[in-house]
Amino acid sequence: MMNNDDTIDPALATRFAALRSELAGHEAPRCVEKELLQAFAKQFPRKQPWYRRPSLPQWGAAGAFASLGGAGVLATLLLALAPHQSITVGPPLIGIDDGAAFIALESLERIESEPYTRVVEAELPQAALAQLGMPLNPQTAGDTVRAEMLVAEDGHPLALRLSAVN
Amino acid sequence: MTSTTDHTDTELLRQVHAGQAEAFTTLYRRHQGPLYRYALLRCGSGDAAADIVQEAFMGLLTGRLGYDPLRGQLQHFLFGVARNLALKLDQARQRHPQLPEPADDDGEADLDTASDADGPLARLLGNEAAEEVRRALSLLPPHYRDPVILYEMHDLSYQEIATVCQIDIGTVRSRLARGRAALAKRLRLTLEGMT
Repeated sequence: MMNNDDTIDPALATRFAALRSELAGHEAPRCVEKELLQAFAKQFPRKQPWYRRPSLPQWGAAGAFASLGGAGVLATLLLALAPHQSITVGPPLIGIDDGAAFIALESLERIESEPYTRVVEAELPQAALAQLGMPLNPQTAGDTVRAEMLVAEDGHPLALRLSAVN
Repeated sequence: MTSTTDHTDTELLRQVHAGQAEAFTTLYRRHQGPLYRYALLRCGSGDAAADIVQEAFMGLLTGRLGYDPLRGQLQHFLFGVARNLALKLDQARQRHPQLPEPADDDGEADLDTASDADGPLARLLGNEAAEEVRRALSLLPPHYRDPVILYEMHDLSYQEIATVCQIDIGTVRSRLARGRAALAKRLRLTLEGMT
């Protein structure tokens, strides 16, 4: 009859104790963990932070769009905040520079390509400015505006800068 | 912030499958030691034991093994996986000639005829007494070796061993008793041979 109880031969128990003690420091080689972590990295590729996902050219394009957008917002703000300068943008090109209006009568390319230009001071009736897209106050329509006119060598008017309203 | 070392195996496994490498490292370091020592005694070879540990954790990592926390501890599940992998190694070794294991009246093999050709006898341990019992263990037929290692070295209960080895609890008791008896007999013979 086989003895199925938990008793164990004392000599065997001593040897098992020695075996437990001897094996206590035995662990799988380091290379096993290394290989498993490599397998883990393959199975779960590390997700990059959102700011590293786009490539450099993509970031460049995003920056360019952001700059354009920012410039648009800034221009809108300037136009909205400038007092009495509710300007309709369209040909001719109108800009606001330090509170003064700049009206391009020709394209910017034409103005930039003009080799010799000069500035001529003039007094213009406000009614004449309405034709250029400037807002007109009916109560001051008869007043004049001091203007600096940029003219080409041949006297062709290129742009107008309104410095003050008389 | 809670360290991953405080987490349960189930929580760590959930984090592993969510792609957290730190959780996998914690889980591996928690269980690799006992698993390696089991495989070392089961196979008698450090290389085979390392392969088994790697294979078991790889199965855990890929989800191929399908561990169910409701069916027992992860450590015991891994013992079961390691045992199955060791059985595959045993099958590969069956290409080599073995001495027959005649069945006794219980249908179990006669342990006195366990073959010396079965176990790797290369010295693994420095301590003489430890090495003696390791060699004796390596000479036990595998189905006796498993219960003895799991009971004596890893403190598993009969029920836990029954689950790991997929046998009933009565068979665990029987094989454990026979395995111990065979070990004691072999160690006595060794001692007598030395005197």
